[in-house]
Amino acid sequence: MTDTRLIHHVGVSAMEWLWAHRDGFRLEPDVDPEVGFLERFKPVGELALICGVLFREGVAGSRQAQLARQLLDHAWRETLDGGRMLVRGQRIEPFSPIPFEVYLPFKELGHSQPELEQATALNHRLDSWVRFPVNPTRRLGLSAFQRRFGLTARPPEADLVGTTWLARTPEPWTVEGHTAYDITHTVFHLTDWGESPDGLPPRIADYLATWLPVWIDDWLDLERWDLLGELLVVDACLPRPTLDERAWEGFAAAQQPDGAMPAVRTMPEGDPDTVFDMVYHPTLVAAFASVLATSRALTELARTPS
Amino acid sequence: MEQSSTSALLQGTVLDLASDVVSALRSGDHARAGGTLARDGAGGNIARAAVRVLGADTLLPTALLRVPPDPGRLAVFKDAVTAHPPRADAAPAVVWSHWAMARALRRLDEPLPGPLAGDGDTEPDAAWLEDAGWQSLTHQLAVLAPLALPGEECAVTRVARRRPVDVARGFVRAVRRRDWQQAAGAGRWLTLLDGVPDTLGLDTGLDFVRLMGGSDPRVALQLEAARLMPAGVLL
Repeated sequence: MTDTRLIHHVGVSAMEWLWAHRDGFRLEPDVDPEVGFLERFKPVGELALICGVLFREGVAGSRQAQLARQLLDHAWRETLDGGRMLVRGQRIEPFSPIPFEVYLPFKELGHSQPELEQATALNHRLDSWVRFPVNPTRRLGLSAFQRRFGLTARPPEADLVGTTWLARTPEPWTVEGHTAYDITHTVFHLTDWGESPDGLPPRIADYLATWLPVWIDDWLDLERWDLLGELLVVDACLPRPTLDERAWEGFAAAQQPDGAMPAVRTMPEGDPDTVFDMVYHPTLVAAFASVLATSRALTELARTPS
Repeated sequence: MEQSSTSALLQGTVLDLASDVVSALRSGDHARAGGTLARDGAGGNIARAAVRVLGADTLLPTALLRVPPDPGRLAVFKDAVTAHPPRADAAPAVVWSHWAMARALRRLDEPLPGPLAGDGDTEPDAAWLEDAGWQSLTHQLAVLAPLALPGEECAVTRVARRRPVDVARGFVRAVRRRDWQQAAGAGRWLTLLDGVPDTLGLDTGLDFVRLMGGSDPRVALQLEAARLMPAGVLL
């Protein structure tokens, strides 16, 4: 098992980078309509989700927790203009689930935007939303978010689990990058982003316990840090996490001294916004993997008789 | 220059020899496994080296299908076993490969000449495999695929039988890395092991390896062995 300090440090360092580069979480109000105003909401939603996990797990040090709080406040007040940007996005694309998905973690952390709540409640009644054309894993995620929002999930999650790639437990040697991301997100949705490892049906947990080590080994050697980070999250969601030492050491070694985690191999070059767009996600994932793995490692320690 | 042409010659001889074995396994016809191998001079050196690369699998049609070995090939095989006993500092896989060749001869009741005559069937040590990570375990087992035979009982097969999930992981790793030879060798082992996870999809996996890498006769040899394995004659 990996040294918990090494795992923890990855997350502390990632939060420092995210705070220092918070202006990278930016919307583009004047964007070409063909690109779409909602395109840039995704990073903000992911930031809020991960900060939510950090508060929930309660293993962050005071500095890390403070940075997460400041980042969230910045994202809500500055980037989203107190939620008004979400309403604006909703008015441009009324039936898009994106404003709802970005809003949910902020709502869970105590923020409120009544107009968006009304729009969500209306959309939730639409048959159009029940069949909104997305892949099975995203659909599972939308239903999970509806439940977390306090709505009845349409369709129910239980009806959707079996439609995902992972639930079929297919041949593990067919897993490529896009399949691997599908696997990780199915696990995120089934466990509420690591909150309820019991949400993984035993058959799926067994499948992952058997084959995840192979995928981790592979993407570690390929230096695909973004995907490796998500796979390390999946490991931390399993009944018996391996907290694989070689993988965590490789992951930590790929992290830059300022906390940035490159997506693939080494840091990209370019202007600050371009670099931010390429690096924010793996860095968020690093914070996410770190907090879950740290939490699981401490739980294991607590269980170990002294 | 001379060295590289020798190495190319050896490589070619290994492929020819593997092709012969594949043909024999597919047709069950020992005559087709009787491609000529030189026994003397420089050609003899190359032939013995090629036989040592394929190891006991050179005689696989005999082991699996009970077809009598071609006398010329058997003679070269015997030369290869006796002329190059492993050195004291040889890697475990080399020692085991040699042991498997000597074992193949003993199964044919062929008397072993020289220093091999007296060493009975003493097994080398397999401790190096016991604690190997699943990646290294699979790599080593693929190198020692000639030991993956129905009814084979030795320290290496015992380790493999204890670690079916690890070998299955290694198979997935080899397929993902497009290492068809290792994948085929690991697949051959898996056909012999109990406890391989159903979710592996071994049958289609082996077909995939054949599709992608089967044009290499060394890969095809392992796949043919895997195909014959469940119906293979117990040793």
